[in-house]
Amino acid sequence: MSKQNLILKADDLSKRYEDGVLALDHLNLEVRAGEVYCLLGANGAGKTTTINLFLNFIPPTTGTCYINGVDVTKDPLEAKKYVAFVSENVMLYGNFTARQNLDFFAKLGGKTALSKDAYYQVMRRVSLQEKAFEQRVKTFSKGMRQKLGISIAIIKDAPAILLDEPTSGLDPKAAEEFLEILQELKSEGKAILMSTHDIFRAKEIGDRVGIMKEGRLVLERTREELQFEDLVKIYIDYMKSEPLTA
Amino acid sequence: MLTAIIKKEIAANLLSYKFFIVILLMTLLLFTSFFVLYKDYKGRQADYELVRAKPGEPIAVLPPNPLSIFAKGLDEAMTRSFEISPIGINVRTGQKSGNAVFAFFPAPDFVYVVKVVLSLVALLFGFDQVSRERENGVLRLMLSNSVSRATVLAGKWLGNFLSLAVPFVLVTLLGFALMNLNSGLRFGPSGTGRFLLLVAIALVYTGLFLSLGIFISALTRRSASTLVILLLIWTLLVFVLPNLGTLVARQIVDVPSVKALNEKRTQIWTREILLQIGEQKAVNFRGDGAIRKRHLEAINNQLNALEADYRMKFDRLVRLTKTINRLSPAAGFAYAVTELAGTGIDEESRLKSEVIRYKDGVLLEMDRGVKEHPAFVYRYRTVGRVLAEGGLFDLAWLTIALILFFALGFVAFVRYDVR
Repeated sequence: MSKQNLILKADDLSKRYEDGVLALDHLNLEVRAGEVYCLLGANGAGKTTTINLFLNFIPPTTGTCYINGVDVTKDPLEAKKYVAFVSENVMLYGNFTARQNLDFFAKLGGKTALSKDAYYQVMRRVSLQEKAFEQRVKTFSKGMRQKLGISIAIIKDAPAILLDEPTSGLDPKAAEEFLEILQELKSEGKAILMSTHDIFRAKEIGDRVGIMKEGRLVLERTREELQFEDLVKIYIDYMKSEPLTA
Repeated sequence: MLTAIIKKEIAANLLSYKFFIVILLMTLLLFTSFFVLYKDYKGRQADYELVRAKPGEPIAVLPPNPLSIFAKGLDEAMTRSFEISPIGINVRTGQKSGNAVFAFFPAPDFVYVVKVVLSLVALLFGFDQVSRERENGVLRLMLSNSVSRATVLAGKWLGNFLSLAVPFVLVTLLGFALMNLNSGLRFGPSGTGRFLLLVAIALVYTGLFLSLGIFISALTRRSASTLVILLLIWTLLVFVLPNLGTLVARQIVDVPSVKALNEKRTQIWTREILLQIGEQKAVNFRGDGAIRKRHLEAINNQLNALEADYRMKFDRLVRLTKTINRLSPAAGFAYAVTELAGTGIDEESRLKSEVIRYKDGVLLEMDRGVKEHPAFVYRYRTVGRVLAEGGLFDLAWLTIALILFFALGFVAFVRYDVR
């Protein structure tokens, strides 16, 4: 894959919190256009910290994040033009309808002149039921909210999508539907970085899978490599292994 | 982007129960206040017609101020009847409110509603703007876009301010317009101008509390903590500080009590009368009139000196109390609006000085044997003068506090951990 296609890049990225905890330790990671990168790891491994650093929610201690070639720390507003975000538990404005939420976040994402039909089209694409389009979001199930969350990401039409454990808590059908949408986005050339606990789905959708432990990226495998390896066994072995700092 | 956030905040408020309950409460309170105070004003006006000076009578009495419907302040004290006699000023109760409940509770005027209720409502609008949105994760989603925190904060402030200010202004103006329909009540251009200024200051005061709410929200992680902290600060600013200032000032400036003052007055009278009787006896009651006149003059001079000394100390106490109380925006707001309405402390003090001047003039005329005295005329200070004599300071202080809290909120929000 060429350098031109590089959308997300973490360059020697470290984060030490004020309480002294080293959440991320010299992470180097690249995600290209049309690629899904799955970050696996236990709680506290540094997956969410990585996403938070890409979104400039926290400043790095050392290193740099780039989105579409833009240094996130130096020019966060420019960098955020090229990224969409879906969190573990998409919580929107409960008193707004699905369309109103979509409209607001589309405007924040720079899409100011979209029609009602355009919103409906996106919601249809993620298989949100028609009757839910004009329903208040506070009545939505988690699966419906996640679908609306990915609609927000789709409508922004950014080259990169960051997903923080998006299928956590979803029933198998909803999770499967969610991954189908991700496959479509991948085929459209989006660079997708997804943190997850779900080894099976990571293997299913990930072009590359990285395993994080104590803030370090301890292993990285491509889809091709994983055809001959047991990801579950590798993951469990890493989790059971001695602490890296020991 | 800013417009989108403002619209979103307004729409979110319009769709929430909180908004409707708050607006209903505010409307109810303002209309109740206007109705009660309007009836009170009409009652006091009827009283004034009974006690007003007849041509030639040396009585200083003002009609009730129409703006006292909104800012009652010291209007009851100012509309007392001051009867001038050779022995000094006799203060009558004047046009007192017929509603005995006012003795137990502060008059629920526009100033009170804004000072206490609207400030609390503004805090309720501001308290969850940052911490609640962090808790439910919306803040992360919002800030994952290419929108600066300054824009988000400004949008939140403006959206919530408009949600609060527009219904408040509409309800207040409607109340004012309805009162203007009554033939017995005319505010005139000056009164209308002053009223609009009151509303403008009320908006600054409301904006200040909204800024404070957002500032504390940007300092805390949980909206429940924000609410508790804000309720404490609100109680401190609206109730504790103004009363504390009064207590502290009393400890610093020693002002004799009214009872002690009356005691001294009696002493002066007794001493001079006894001296007069002694002198009259010594001359076998010849030249009786001249002796009495001399002693009456002496009494008047001593009472004036006593009064002047008391007023000097009292004015010092008032100045110090006002200075300390100004730490609270609620006090600054109350001073600014009551002075503009013509029912404030400075206006009352000026009226008393005018009454004393009137008394001196009347006594001179009495000496010359004049029976018919000119009517007492009092002109309220102009808006320009009120602003120059402290009103502008209070308004500037409220504006600075608003900007300061917003700036602090901005700094806190820029540093806020949205995770």
